[in-house]
Amino acid sequence: MSIAAETKAQVAEIGDKYKYGFVTDIEMEMAPRGLSEGTVRYISAKKGEPEWMLEWRLAAFKRWGAMKEPNWARVHYPRIDYQNSYYYAAPKNTPLKQSLDEVDPKLLETYKKLGIPLQEQMALAGVAVDAVFDSVSVATTFKAKLNEAGVIFCPISEAIRDYPDLVKKYLGTVVPVTDNFFATLNSAVFSDGTFVYVPKGVRCPMELSTYFRINASETGQFERTLIVADEGSYVSYLEGCTAPKRDENQLHAAVVELVALDNAEIKYSTVQNWYPGDENGLGGIFNFVTKRGDCRGKKSKISWTQVETGSAITWKYPSCILRGDESVGEFYSIAIANNYQQADTGTKMIHLGANTRSRIISKGISAGKAQNTYRGLVSIYGKAKNARNYTQCDSLLIGGDCGAHTVPYIESRNPTARIEHEATTSKIAEDQLFYCLARGIPQDEAVSLIVNGFCKEVLQQLPMEFAVEAQKLVGISLEGSVG
Amino acid sequence: MTLVLPSTIEARKAEAATIFGSHGVPTRRVEEWKYSDLKVALGEAGIGTDQALWQVDTLPDGVEMFDLSRNGAPDWVQKHFATAGRNIMGTASLTLSDGGVALRIAKGAKISRPLKLTFQGNGHVRGLLVLEDGASLTLVESVGIADFRNVGFEIVLGEGASLEHVRISQQSADAVLVEEASLCIAAGARYCAHFVGFGSKLSRMELEIALEGEGAQAHLSGVSVLDGKRHSDVTTHVIHRHGNTASTQLFKHVAGGNARAVYQGKVTVAKGADGSDSHQSAKALLLSENAEADLKPELEIFADDVKCAHGAAVGDLDAESLFYLRARGIPEAEARGLLLQAFLEDAVAEIVNIDQRELVRTELLTALKRVA
Amino acid sequence: MLEIKNLHVSVGDKEILKGLNLSIKAGEVHAIMGPNGSGKSTLSYVLAGRAGYDITEGLITYNGEDLAALAPEVRAAKGVFLAMQYPVEIPGVTTMMFLKTALNSQRRARGESDLDAVAVLKLVRAKAKTLNVSEEMLKRALNVGFSGGEKKRLEILQMALFEPKLAVLDETDSGLDIDALKLVAEGVNTLRASSRAMLVITHYQRLLDYIVPDRIHVLARGKIVAEGGKELALELEAKGYEHILKEPA
Repeated sequence: MSIAAETKAQVAEIGDKYKYGFVTDIEMEMAPRGLSEGTVRYISAKKGEPEWMLEWRLAAFKRWGAMKEPNWARVHYPRIDYQNSYYYAAPKNTPLKQSLDEVDPKLLETYKKLGIPLQEQMALAGVAVDAVFDSVSVATTFKAKLNEAGVIFCPISEAIRDYPDLVKKYLGTVVPVTDNFFATLNSAVFSDGTFVYVPKGVRCPMELSTYFRINASETGQFERTLIVADEGSYVSYLEGCTAPKRDENQLHAAVVELVALDNAEIKYSTVQNWYPGDENGLGGIFNFVTKRGDCRGKKSKISWTQVETGSAITWKYPSCILRGDESVGEFYSIAIANNYQQADTGTKMIHLGANTRSRIISKGISAGKAQNTYRGLVSIYGKAKNARNYTQCDSLLIGGDCGAHTVPYIESRNPTARIEHEATTSKIAEDQLFYCLARGIPQDEAVSLIVNGFCKEVLQQLPMEFAVEAQKLVGISLEGSVG
Repeated sequence: MTLVLPSTIEARKAEAATIFGSHGVPTRRVEEWKYSDLKVALGEAGIGTDQALWQVDTLPDGVEMFDLSRNGAPDWVQKHFATAGRNIMGTASLTLSDGGVALRIAKGAKISRPLKLTFQGNGHVRGLLVLEDGASLTLVESVGIADFRNVGFEIVLGEGASLEHVRISQQSADAVLVEEASLCIAAGARYCAHFVGFGSKLSRMELEIALEGEGAQAHLSGVSVLDGKRHSDVTTHVIHRHGNTASTQLFKHVAGGNARAVYQGKVTVAKGADGSDSHQSAKALLLSENAEADLKPELEIFADDVKCAHGAAVGDLDAESLFYLRARGIPEAEARGLLLQAFLEDAVAEIVNIDQRELVRTELLTALKRVA
Repeated sequence: MLEIKNLHVSVGDKEILKGLNLSIKAGEVHAIMGPNGSGKSTLSYVLAGRAGYDITEGLITYNGEDLAALAPEVRAAKGVFLAMQYPVEIPGVTTMMFLKTALNSQRRARGESDLDAVAVLKLVRAKAKTLNVSEEMLKRALNVGFSGGEKKRLEILQMALFEPKLAVLDETDSGLDIDALKLVAEGVNTLRASSRAMLVITHYQRLLDYIVPDRIHVLARGKIVAEGGKELALELEAKGYEHILKEPA
């Protein structure tokens, strides 16, 4: 059997490679099934929210009723019945926790299994974690140390109660309530998420991280993240996601808003490993996410790095609005789609200010019967004098049954701006593979090696803690897929 | 993705009418028309039902012609008419046009003298050009000025046929000119096309090219030089249906004034079309504060053994080159003109027919003086 | 011919030349030597009039005129020629067509009539032969795909063709092997004339073995720090820049 045929035969095994597919057996409190004004009120009440927040949600809900689900992306999925899902699920007996000792041991065990030790190991790693389990935040570590630096790092539900002025000032200013179907839905029913505020001139003393876990079945997860970096501050934020293996599709519709003021920098990294469905395309998460950063201040910088290996469907375009003069936007992405996964992901770089710069490096890998699309917009407005963009967009195809697509939109309205875009599509070279095999490297490792090489520019952008994990993930996602 | 086509022309036209009826005149909300809002450009006048005209200058020997407004279409027209392309405005011309021209080059005929074809007047019109196996031709297409014209052009290349297509569209402030060409290219056949555009109120050349057999090739190049409020849109879709096919695209735009240059190029490689090779390059230079360039080079790949790449760039003239020329005594305006010519040159150099190439160079010079 | 007084030049926020003085008479060949980053190339660009090199103080007088007030192409027409260290590649413009355009632009600016293509070709061919510039090179796009030596030879060819009054040669020796260097130097030497001044900018003494200057200036930290006859080059070669820089200017 040729290398190609042999390895294609191994594709079927991949379903078993998802390590995070277990379910935590824990008693849950759920909102009634379905979505109505009542559901929105229920969630708001559960969170003990002030009246203004409830009004905000209700307005969003009303608006959502008049909106249509978008259909322009290259993804196909059965109609979602929004009334046949739960919009709130929380482990029982997890009121506001003060320390990790009060957290249900079952939950701690869950995060340990996921490789996210919330306790002593975390201290060694020096990463502060907010753990979101279905609809609620169950643990946030290192709060005290962060408080010392003046950094606010807490569940957003807590921030709405404790820092209403900050939340009011920034929430919905980057992704307006009316932005798109999924963002509006999120605005109505978001349950938890993370809030970060880094005050003027503060360099956040440690990496911040949120770990999202979907556990309950037939439940949607709608987290909301808001990060504000005040003048001259810096923060690096990491996000990880997993979900149990189930035959059903579960909806995840998050909104992430970033605001960088003058001279501030936000680095946002994601390793998205939601359950992708099995080798026949059964089950998996529908990941419809709106992520956007606003470089509101001059010389501000927002950098998105994403490693997308999970989800049955990914619909996600982390973007930068380069409003401040001399602001910088970056997007580094690895998107891997295997089996029946469909990914339509990319970015938007909106150049409004003078001397703004953006850089897009996208690496798409398609295997099995997957469809992987890069969709990106670079738009230079009339006032964006001397704006610069560089885009490099490479696709790798593994096997003849998958698809790799590139859809860049390049719009320039300023003669002093320069935009460069390059894209290539290729397959894993047989000679590279053979060379590795001939030097005694087993096939799966060889593939992992070559693909990791292909992705290197992006992997380099990840913080150390994530880079190693991401490299392994790239290998695992593609095990046995080569042709 | 093979369309099952009705066997008669009437049935195919009826099918097109159904498709057009379900879409209507495109607006910018239709993805393919994002940068060219036809409905707005036409205003209340709409697309109407006028019949546009065509004209062929002295028919070269070996070329057969049929007037589509007449009855009794010969077999080759019956066989090919309305078989390719179902994009929106193509279905509009199929629905609304009663006439047009059909041309055939017989098997193996090598026509040395260029065939000159002009579409003119307001309204809708159809064209059909069939090159049978091994035939070859140079087609020079002129675009007459009109308030609004919609041309639906089908081109069929038999095995080993070769066509060079040169189309020059003069500038006009008020014209709305739309043309969709649909091509089927058989094994070993080669299509080379060059589109020269100076823009109008709305000007759109849309191509859908299917490479149907082993060794089929399509090589497209184009230049546009725009000023005032001119708009020029080149939209291409090259489909590699068969393996070992090749396509290249090279488009260069220069936009000054309030002009808008649009290039949308999509390359599809169908499943199993291994060995397909495609290269796309689109570049634009903006010369003024209010000019705009929109580029959308798109890849849609369903086969793994392919070599596909595209590049796109927007910017202004290279400052270093400009300085070099000036330091050798060439005045700034002239140096800019020289660099603009140089920028366009590689796309112009693709034109094989020497007379046409020189003609294009001359026309570009005039246009560049207007713009720079 | 050329008089530079207290020249200060900034690129962006950074001051590169900090009070440079230099005087060259017709018929003289001067050399400027200096370590990397001393401001040698900045001086050459300022003389040719490249944008982005701002004169913040001082004066450059060329044949009695304020040079800074002139556009680059006007300087060229008035006889200022800069042979660049990195000649620019311009795809789409053939070398021959470039030479004709440049030559006639300069002639026109001086009120002379255009030369027709045949006359230009004749002129170029005559000069090309001595510099070993092939017919084929002249047909190719300007500097595109030329080797380092070919680019430098084409620069000298242009110098021969345009017959400038003031020729500035910026690191003309860089990237050349000894044979190419000799060829280029010979080309330069045949252009030495009583009506022409030359400024040879180089890092190494090597070039000055072949183009022997009347006077040598050492540029460091944006100023002339030492001056002397041709023997200064040998001293630099033997002792290095460090030695000179330590001595008071």
